[in-house]
Amino acid sequence: MKTQTGTIALSAGRWPSFARWKKRGVQTMIFVAPFVVYGIFLLCYGVNPVDLYVSMVKSAFGDLYGFGEVLLKATPFVLTGLAAALPAKAGLVNVGGEGQLAIGALFATWFAVFYLNAMPALLGIPLMLIAGALGGAVWAGLVAVLKVKGRLNETITSVLLNYVATFTVGFFVHGMLKDPDSFNWPFSPEISSSLRLPIVNGTRLHIGFVVALVLAALVWFVLAKTRLGFRIRVLGSNRLAAERAGFNINKMYFWVLISAGMLAGIAGMIEIAGIEGRLRASTGANFGYLGFLAAMMAWNHPLRLIVTAFLLGMISVAGNTLEIGSGLPSSSVNILMALVLFFILGGRRWSR
Amino acid sequence: MILADILTGAIRSGTSVMLASQGELVSERAGVINLGTEGSMLGGALGGFAVTVWTGNPWLGALAGGLCGLLIASIHAFLVLSCGANQLATGLTIMFFGMGVTAFFGRGFVSEQIVGFNPVALPLLSDIPFLGPILFNHDPLTYLSILLVPLLWYVIFRTRIGIMLRTAGEREEVLFASGINPKLVRYLAVLAGGFLAGIGGAQLSIAYTHAWVENMTAGRGVVAVALVIFASWKPARAMLGAYLFGAAQALQLTVQQQGYAISPFFLFMVPYLLTLLALLIVERRKSSRTPEALGKVFAGEGSG
Amino acid sequence: MKMKRRASSVLLGALALIMLITGCSQPGSNSSSSPSGGSSETPSASADASMGTGGSAVGFIFVGTKDDYGYNQAAYLGSVAVEEAYPDLKVLRAENVPETAEAERVMEQMIKDGAKIIFPTSYGHLEPALNVAKRHPDVVFFHQGGLKTSTNVGTYFGTIWEPVYLAGVAAGKMSKTGKLGYIVSVPIPQVLLNVNAFTLGARSVNPDATTSVVFTGSWCDPGQQANAANSLIDGGVDVLSLHQDCMKTVIETAERRGVMTVGYHADASSLAPNGWITGSLWNWPELFVEMVKTAQDGQFKGSKFDGKYRGTLADNVVQLGSFGANVPADVVQYVEDQKKALLDGTLLPFAGPVKDQSGGVRIAEGETPTVEQLEGSDYLVEGVIGSIPK
Repeated sequence: MKTQTGTIALSAGRWPSFARWKKRGVQTMIFVAPFVVYGIFLLCYGVNPVDLYVSMVKSAFGDLYGFGEVLLKATPFVLTGLAAALPAKAGLVNVGGEGQLAIGALFATWFAVFYLNAMPALLGIPLMLIAGALGGAVWAGLVAVLKVKGRLNETITSVLLNYVATFTVGFFVHGMLKDPDSFNWPFSPEISSSLRLPIVNGTRLHIGFVVALVLAALVWFVLAKTRLGFRIRVLGSNRLAAERAGFNINKMYFWVLISAGMLAGIAGMIEIAGIEGRLRASTGANFGYLGFLAAMMAWNHPLRLIVTAFLLGMISVAGNTLEIGSGLPSSSVNILMALVLFFILGGRRWSR
Repeated sequence: MILADILTGAIRSGTSVMLASQGELVSERAGVINLGTEGSMLGGALGGFAVTVWTGNPWLGALAGGLCGLLIASIHAFLVLSCGANQLATGLTIMFFGMGVTAFFGRGFVSEQIVGFNPVALPLLSDIPFLGPILFNHDPLTYLSILLVPLLWYVIFRTRIGIMLRTAGEREEVLFASGINPKLVRYLAVLAGGFLAGIGGAQLSIAYTHAWVENMTAGRGVVAVALVIFASWKPARAMLGAYLFGAAQALQLTVQQQGYAISPFFLFMVPYLLTLLALLIVERRKSSRTPEALGKVFAGEGSG
Repeated sequence: MKMKRRASSVLLGALALIMLITGCSQPGSNSSSSPSGGSSETPSASADASMGTGGSAVGFIFVGTKDDYGYNQAAYLGSVAVEEAYPDLKVLRAENVPETAEAERVMEQMIKDGAKIIFPTSYGHLEPALNVAKRHPDVVFFHQGGLKTSTNVGTYFGTIWEPVYLAGVAAGKMSKTGKLGYIVSVPIPQVLLNVNAFTLGARSVNPDATTSVVFTGSWCDPGQQANAANSLIDGGVDVLSLHQDCMKTVIETAERRGVMTVGYHADASSLAPNGWITGSLWNWPELFVEMVKTAQDGQFKGSKFDGKYRGTLADNVVQLGSFGANVPADVVQYVEDQKKALLDGTLLPFAGPVKDQSGGVRIAEGETPTVEQLEGSDYLVEGVIGSIPK
């Protein structure tokens, strides 16, 4: 943030807002460039990019339903993004949001189906949320124990455990959690309607989004305004200093990872209670990775993360529009997503 | 007999992972971790398949596969080394990019047929009891991949190039002092890594399966990255790790055929759990030493 | 930096405001109470007649890619037939639609784009289709393979186990070792039913035949398929079949190692000139066109597609593939005779008694199972080696 060169500082002295304008210009370019590049790519395949972008914006902002869909899509990204951003502040790389979400969804569904079915919403939903958080915490706990006791790098272990988590969910939906009325198809029974999150009229959007916003604000508050957050940031920016200051580093690593797992686990619970209603083997696939990328785009800032999650949600939703409208495969939207990220990651040096 | 089958299976299914992890090893030796190996493998799988379809020559295909892997890795190199982007995030993005790009351009190739590499039993050698069929009845790329390991060991530990590579990952200021640009060394290392990962992907598509389908590497690139850490950045160990992973896959299939009442889902986990276990054992023995520049990435300072 | 922070907090505030205004007003409600009102429990006759008509498009959603030489390609060919038969209708397609609530959004988008008829073609698309159907009573849904229906959701499928049984007969005749191999993805009923049919067919001509079944956990992972094929061949099987979405790798690997193959979904005889025995195929085109016509004419209610429609070998919705060059004429003749018997009803593949792996009787002597019973299979028959998770 302090790497402005002399010339810019000079001109900034003469015309105070020039540096800022330049910076904003660069930032705008970084945001616009991937869409231009992708537009050229689309032109090569006979698709008018302007039409596409217009319909993309229209489907996201045109009506309440579309807007709701984008927010719906962004909700898990915010939470799994937090699961990456919070450890990042402590100097940890948690790529395990994927698995933590899956196990969170598994725990939430398990409790919902076997214990909470007859409960009133006011009691059942919070308990289910706790179950989800517990599931995520257990899975992140594995990473944490391997990190603290086994001295294993959390990046690698969390990625490997993502695969194990997928198979674990597969095991349960094919076995103990299989819906007895499903003619033996592999998914859990539907959770009781009293456990479903309230939705906004005319959309599929549920209050899970508010939960995500509140948690993002909470994480931001803890990190920015509390002593605990200060210590986490010190640990992340200078481990040596943290050691000298006598922090119990392993304990901090452990609890930061556990909290991250809880956040991702809550995302899993929200997917079940908010939208899916039952657990499938593919519930929440890729949400963890996309959340990680959203956090990266936001430079691990919890509030900025909300914006980047929204952007990724918009692009994801646009993938369907693109395919249905122009016949291009939905995978091509992955290219747009990667381009956006490339420019943000690569342009970081020039935009600050 | 079952043991021989499992060992043969280990080499068959482990080779693509092994090639990719040797590539990742080179890259990490220079201090750059590339989670985008998965993307490079996919690029290699598609590029290799496409060129084999066009030319009918799998050797050209393998070369093209390597070049496609290199091309995808070059994005990583540029963003990380020239733009100072976060290595882990960039790698993950490359993974998604690889999936998207190959899915898009690969559509037309799903239904294509190729004449790819076939297993070639080496005369005399393949007649050795027990070991013969395990080691000497594979496709040419597999033989080459086995030869690559001692070669790579020699280059890394016994040549000037190897010293440069390792110094780039450990003490870049020493390189500077001797008038070599460490950034250049790293660039080359990442590109070489991408090339090998691309060949690994091509082995999968034009030698092992003779097919291209969307996302066909299915996480093998990610495993390759994990194996490098297990291997303590040593080529022979990376080979061992990859074959161990392959053996775990062969083992679970064999167990299934015996009809034991074990859920296949537990068996699917075995290769990943085994990798984790192997990592733990290596770490316990404290014999590994992380290249210094990599240590910084893992400590959250992951920019070039 | 400050500017950016301010901008993002403004956006945040706006989002929160919208949330408040639109109001989380319906505590306890969920997708079962739809915005378009769930009051029309008994739709009137006029609603019946307009259901599915007047659309400018037909939507198809696929779980995989359309050129996988398998399940999705078969359905895709059906959508092409619809396109050709109805040039005025725009055919909207979406591939790789996951079997989650994500599918709901895709269907909503198609309806927005003018579709009044939608084909969700994968089993897991059923629940999302039922949810969307509640919100859009004027749209007709034809779901592939579903066992649940509603007012405007009908399901269709083919009794593919009939040709699979016949292919099993051929495999039993051709196998020298009596050891057959079957590569499958996950233990769902459709898969178990096919493995059972195949094994019963093989054992009808060779009572000692066994089928080793191997799960790969994936519908199309060529690497895993090659592992599985090699592993089964190492284990001594000499005929390999599969239930996967793509099959090139398995057929080619078997051919290279001199093992015979039985295909699924599509004809792959060109991949295995020596080892190809036969295969089981889908034939959706005529059926899809007929379904679209029924809905377009406002005839959906009360038609055979309003409910669970199952096309059979006799209906030509499922087919037995061509025989390979190396299948002797007497085997072809025997299988053709069995096919005739199946078509005229004298042969019932699942006629009791059918025993499961542990010897327990699943279908009693003299009993013929219903479609629901078969499509809900949760066991493997005697002669299958392998286990399914409980």
